[in-house]
Amino acid sequence: MKSRTNLKYMIVFGLAFTMLISFGRTLHAQKKLQKSPGGYHGELDFPISWGRYYSYAEWTKIMHDIQKKYSHLSDIESIGKSRMGRDQYLITITAKSTGKHEDKPAMWVDGAIHGNEVNGISCSLYLMWYLLTRYDYDQYVYNLVNNCTFYILPGLNVDANASFVEFPNTAHNPREPFRPEDNDGDGLYDEDRTEDVDGDGELSTMYIEDSNGEYKLSADKRRFVRLTNMEEDVLRFRRIGQEGYDNDGDGMINEDDIGGPDPNRNYPSGWNLQAGNPYPMSEPCTRNTYEFMLKHPNIFAGFHYHNIGRLIMFVSPPRATSTQRQTAEQRLKEQERFNQYLQELRKTNKYAQAFDIQVRPGYEEDMNAQAKIVTMGARILKNYRPVTSGGMGQAQASTYDMLGAYAYLIELWGSPVFDADENDDGRVSDEELLKWIDIELTGEGWVMPHKCSHPDLGEIWIGGTRKKHVYRTPPARYIKMEAEKNAMFVMYCASQFPKVEIDEVNVTPETDNLYWIDVAVKNDRIYPTVSDRALKLKRAVKDKITAIFSNNISMVEIPKNLTKIGPQNYSTQSETIGKEGAEFRLKGKQTLHFCILVQMDGSQGWVEFNVKSQHGGKDKRRVNIKLSD
Amino acid sequence: MKSQFNNLKGLAIAFVIIFILASISGSAAQKVPISFDDYHGYTGTVKYIKDVARVYPDITRLIEIGKSNMGRPIYVLVISNMKTGTTIDAHVKLRNMRKEGVKNVTPMKAYQGKPGQWICGSTHGNEHTGTEVCLYIIDKLVSGYTSDTWIKKLIDDKTFYICPVVNPDGVYNSVEKGISQRYNSMMKDNDRDGKVNEDGPDDLNRDGYVTQFRYKDSKGRYVIDDVDPRLMVQLGRNEKTVKPRYSVVIEDKDNDGDGKRGEDPEIGIDINRNFPEGWFKEDGMQGGQGDYPTSSPEAHAVAEFFTNHTNILMAQFYHTSGGFTYRPLGTAPHTKLAPKDVAVFDFIMGKKYLELIGEEIPEAWKTPELIDKFKEELKKTSKNKYAISRGYELPRGWKVSYNETRDRRYSYGLATDWLYMQYGVYSITTELWNPQKDIKGLSKFTGKNARLELARAILKYQDEKFAGKLFIPWKKFKHPELGEGEIGGWIPKYRGNAFPGEPLLGVCETHWQFELFRAGLLPEVVITNAKARVLFNTDNAHDATVLQKGNLVTVKKGKSKGRYKIVEVTATIENTGKLATHIARGAQLAGNREDVVWLIGDRDKVTYLQGTPFQKIGVLEGVMKIPGFSAKSTPPPSSQQRYRYMPQYYPRQMTQRQQPRQQQDMQTGPKREVKWLIAVEGKTPLKIVVTSQKGGTKVKEILIK
Repeated sequence: MKSRTNLKYMIVFGLAFTMLISFGRTLHAQKKLQKSPGGYHGELDFPISWGRYYSYAEWTKIMHDIQKKYSHLSDIESIGKSRMGRDQYLITITAKSTGKHEDKPAMWVDGAIHGNEVNGISCSLYLMWYLLTRYDYDQYVYNLVNNCTFYILPGLNVDANASFVEFPNTAHNPREPFRPEDNDGDGLYDEDRTEDVDGDGELSTMYIEDSNGEYKLSADKRRFVRLTNMEEDVLRFRRIGQEGYDNDGDGMINEDDIGGPDPNRNYPSGWNLQAGNPYPMSEPCTRNTYEFMLKHPNIFAGFHYHNIGRLIMFVSPPRATSTQRQTAEQRLKEQERFNQYLQELRKTNKYAQAFDIQVRPGYEEDMNAQAKIVTMGARILKNYRPVTSGGMGQAQASTYDMLGAYAYLIELWGSPVFDADENDDGRVSDEELLKWIDIELTGEGWVMPHKCSHPDLGEIWIGGTRKKHVYRTPPARYIKMEAEKNAMFVMYCASQFPKVEIDEVNVTPETDNLYWIDVAVKNDRIYPTVSDRALKLKRAVKDKITAIFSNNISMVEIPKNLTKIGPQNYSTQSETIGKEGAEFRLKGKQTLHFCILVQMDGSQGWVEFNVKSQHGGKDKRRVNIKLSD
Repeated sequence: MKSQFNNLKGLAIAFVIIFILASISGSAAQKVPISFDDYHGYTGTVKYIKDVARVYPDITRLIEIGKSNMGRPIYVLVISNMKTGTTIDAHVKLRNMRKEGVKNVTPMKAYQGKPGQWICGSTHGNEHTGTEVCLYIIDKLVSGYTSDTWIKKLIDDKTFYICPVVNPDGVYNSVEKGISQRYNSMMKDNDRDGKVNEDGPDDLNRDGYVTQFRYKDSKGRYVIDDVDPRLMVQLGRNEKTVKPRYSVVIEDKDNDGDGKRGEDPEIGIDINRNFPEGWFKEDGMQGGQGDYPTSSPEAHAVAEFFTNHTNILMAQFYHTSGGFTYRPLGTAPHTKLAPKDVAVFDFIMGKKYLELIGEEIPEAWKTPELIDKFKEELKKTSKNKYAISRGYELPRGWKVSYNETRDRRYSYGLATDWLYMQYGVYSITTELWNPQKDIKGLSKFTGKNARLELARAILKYQDEKFAGKLFIPWKKFKHPELGEGEIGGWIPKYRGNAFPGEPLLGVCETHWQFELFRAGLLPEVVITNAKARVLFNTDNAHDATVLQKGNLVTVKKGKSKGRYKIVEVTATIENTGKLATHIARGAQLAGNREDVVWLIGDRDKVTYLQGTPFQKIGVLEGVMKIPGFSAKSTPPPSSQQRYRYMPQYYPRQMTQRQQPRQQQDMQTGPKREVKWLIAVEGKTPLKIVVTSQKGGTKVKEILIK
C-alpha cells in the first residue's frame, strides 16, 4: 500500500474553461475606451438638450431616434395603449452581442406614474442616453450594459404626462389616468377642470376686488399680500384660487378636475378601495406595465420616479408581529439605543444608514441588502434621505411584495423648500419664494398681477407664481443635475446585481484512490442571488451546482447526515453535491463551500463544476487531476 | 327486445310532449322562439341573444363587455325601454370648457338612469344551468312586455343587465366540445416544456365527449356497483373488498410523450377566485387565483362593467349545484355586513327564496320582533357565535359560505363578496339544481347509502325519461398507456346540471319568480309637488334678505316691481320603491354618492339666493318596512369628503351664506322637501332633476306662476 505522503499531485486548472461569467463567448475589447475623467465620453454622439421638458411626441421621437442609432444595444416596443390610445413606449437596453435581454438580470425603471411628475421622464431618458452614448467609452457602463438588462419606461401615465407638459396646468394636475370620476358627487364626471382664463399659456391665481377682502397689492405691485391692518384704506381683494371657470353652473370653480384613481394606489399589494378605486389594475397604463413586469421574471430590482421630496423610499420587508407589547418607557430606551448605534456608525461614515426595523423571520437578508444599498444611495444622491415605504397599492410595493424584486420609489427634487427657505423654518413664505424666483430662476415663473374679464365673475385679477415647473417639477435648468446623480444610483444598484463565481477548487487525497474535492462558490455583490421575498413567493429559482467527471472518475455518494466524516479540510463545514447537484441561495458578499468524494481509476482525470443562478449568471471550472510519481 | 323497443317509443312520446309543453309555455308573444330541451352552450346562447336584440330593438341592447383569452366575446343583454329614462348629463349644459378637449367621458345611456339588476350565469364553465336560467328570464321579459303590465312597468322603469355566459371558453368546452371545464382558458405552458397547452384531455373513442376510462387496478379506489353496474362506487381509504378494484380516470392520453397525462391543458384559473375582495391572505400573500385580482379577462370585464354601470343595486351570480343560495360573505365573517343589510338579505330575500324552493323558513324570520328571545334560546343550543348574535342559524337553502362554527373563511376573491363590500350591491350566488327536489317524483333517500341510492335513481330516471342518452354505456377500449379498460359515464354537460326538459324548466321558473321578486324591491325616486311661486319683483337680484329658522323662512321684500322676479321653488323628492337607494353604507363607498337634486335654468338669467344649484339629499329610504329597522332610526350618511382640493365658491353678494347642503340632511325616511330661492331675470325654463345612482334619474319641468 502506498503511503499518502509519497504521492504528489499536480492540479491543473483547465484555463480554457474558466469562462467569462453569464455568457459563453469572449467579448471584443471596448473600442473607444476613455480612461481620463476629463476626456470625451460620447455625449455628442447623440446630443440631447436637458434644458427643457419635452412633449409626448418629442420624447417618444427621441427614444425612437436613439434606438435606431444604437440598435445593437437597444430595442423599443409599445407595451400597450393608454386609456386615450397613446402608446406606452419602453426601451430595452442591453448589449445584444452578450446574450438575450431576458437571460440577464434586469433593472426596471419607470417615470411619471403621476401625470404631473414629468421629471421622472427626464431622469429615465437621461439614464437611457447615458447608458447608450457612453457604452463605447466608459468601462463601467460597458460592463453594466453587457451583463444586465435595463427596461426603461420613461412615461408611465402618458395621457396625463402629455396633457401636463403641453397645456396650461397647476403643479398638481393632471395627476391621475383619465378614468372619469365624480369628485364633487353631483352626478357628473370630470365636468369642471381648470382653464387658462387670461390666455397667457400658464395657470396662475385669481383674485377679485372685494371691499371685505383680506388681500392688497404689495408696495412693488408684484404680489398680493395679506392685510395686516384691516382698517387700512386700500384696494382690497379676495383670493378665489387657481384660474378657471364654473363650467357646470353649480357655483363652484374647478371642483371636478379630470382623472380617476391615484395610479400609485392602483397596484395589487396593499390595495384599498378608498385610495385605489375602482379596482386593482383598473387603469390600462398601470395594468400594461404590471403585465410586462410579470412576464419578465428576470427583473431583479425596480426604480419608480416621483416628485418631490428628495427621498429614497425603499420597500421594507414585512415586519415581525411583536408578541409582547412594549411599554412607552421600553420603546424610548430602544429608540435611544438605536440612535446611539446610528451615531456610532456615522462617526466613520457620515452617509451611514440604519433602520430600526424588526423584520419577519426569513427576511433578514433583504433588510440587510436594502440597508447597504440605500446607504450608498444616500452617498450618491447626497441630500436624499432613505426612508421605508410600502403597502397601499403602490407600484413599488407590488414590485417587491408580489414579484420579489427589490424596489425603490425615488422622490426627485426638493426645491424650493430646500433652497428658498432662508430662515430655515421648514416652509417657504411668499417673500422667500419670490426671492428664490428672482435669484435662482432669474425672474422666470412669476405672473405680474393684471386685470382680466371672467364670464362668471366679471372683472378679476390674476397674478402670482406660474404653477408649473416652480413647485413640483424642477425648473428646466436643474433637470440635468437631478438626472445625473439619479442615473448614477440606478447604475450602482445594477452593478451590485448578484454574480456567482467559482472561487477555488481544492483536491485532497483520501485513502486509496479516493479524493475529496472542495469547491467554493461566491457572490461578492451586495444583493443576494434571489431575494428572501422571491423565495417566500416561490417565484425564485434557486442557485444550483452540479459536477461532471471524466469516464474514470465516479462520485461516491455520501448520505447527507454523514457529511461531517470528512478529513481536516472544508468538507466538515460543507454541503455535499449529490448526483442531481446541490441547490442553494447565495447571500450578498457570501461564499459557500461544497464538497464531493470521488474515486479515480488510473493516473489522471478531470472534474468539472457548473453553477447556475437565475439572476447571478453561470460559471464553470474544470480541474485536471494528474498523479505524478 | 320488443319490450325494450316499446319502452323507447314511450319515452320518445314523453319527450315530444315535454317539448311541446315547453314551447307552448311562452309562445303567445314569443317572437324569438326558445326551448329548453337541451343546453344552448356558448354558440346557441350568442345566437339567441343576438336574435333577441335584433327583434326587440326598442327594449334591448347587446353589449360586448370583453373577450375571453380564446377571443370569444362576453355579452351583456340590456333589457330596458330604450325610449324612457334620462341621465343628469343630458340636462346640465357645460360651457367655457378647456380648449384641450379631452374626450374621456362618454355620454351616459338613458338606461343608466334607471335602477339596475344584474343576472349572470356560467362563471364556472361547467355550471351552465345558470345560462339557461338567464335565457329563460330574457324570454319571459321580452315576450311579456306587451302582454303583462307588471313586466312592462319593470322594463319601462328598470334596467336588467343579463350576462348569460361570463366564462365563454369554459362553457364552449363544457357544452360544445364535451370537456367539463370549470375554469377559464389560458394560453400557458404549465409543464415548462416550451409548448403551450399541448397536453389536455382527449376524446379517445371519438364519440364527441370526454367521459371516463375505467380499468382494473389492484390499487384502484373504485368497485362496480352491485345494483347498477354502470355506477362506480368509491371505497373508503382503508376499506377492504373482495370485488375487483378499478381506477377511474378522465378520458386522456399523454399527448407530448413526457410520461404525464393532461399536465398542460387549456384550463386557466377560477374566475370566482379572481375578484379583489379578500384576495390576499392576512399576511399579505396571495390567497385567490390569478396573478392579481381581476387578472382574468372575464373578471376584468365584469369589474369594468360594474364600475361603469353604477345603477346596479341587485346582482345574481348563478352557479350549480345544490339548490341553495349563498348570500355574502365567504371571505370574512358576516359581522362585516351592516345589520340592516342582513335583515334585507335574510328576512326579505331569503324568506322569499325559501318559499319558492319549498323549504322551511326559520321561526325567527317569521317574528323578527322577538329576535332577543331567539338569541337567548340559541345560547343554550348553539356553538355558532355568529348565529347566537344574529338570533338564528342560517337554513340549508340560504346561507353564507364562511364556515361560522369553525370561524374559517371559505375562500379568497369571491365575486359576490366584492360586489357587496366594494360596490354596495345586494349580490348573491345561487347554486341551482337539487336533483332530489327538482326531479319530480324521485323517492327521498336518507341514511348511510342515501348518496348511492340517489345516484342509482338519477341514472334510472335518465333511462326512463331520456332513453339513456345522457349516460354513455361503458365500452371496451385499449388505452395506449393504461391498456385494457372501458370508456363510458355521464356526458359531461349533464353532470351536475339540471336535466333538460321538465326539470330544467322547473328550475328556470322558480328562479325567474325569484328575480322578479327582487326586481320588485328596487328603489324608484320620483319628484312630486314641484312648484315655482313668484314672491315679488325687484331691480336688484340680491335685494332680498332671507331669514331661515327651521322650516320657517322669512323674506324681506324689496321693491314691488322690477327686472327680477324673486321665485321660491319647492318640490318633494320621494322614493316610492321598496328598498333604500343604497345599501346601509353604500353612499360612503368610493365610486358611490348620495342622491342629488339639481335646479337648472338659463345660467345667465338665474341667480341662486338660497340653495345651491345642486344639493346632496343623502340616501332615500324605501317604503318597505325592514324588520328591526325604522326609517327614523337610520342616521343620514355624513357628506363625503372626496374633494382633492377645497372647492372654491365664487363670491356673490349673498344674503345668506350658501351651503352645499341645506336643511334636507336633517330629513330622513323616503321623502325630502327641497326648496330654493332664486332671482329670475326675464323668462327661463326651469327644471328639477333628481339623480340617484341606484334609484334612478327623473326630471320635472316647472312653470313660474
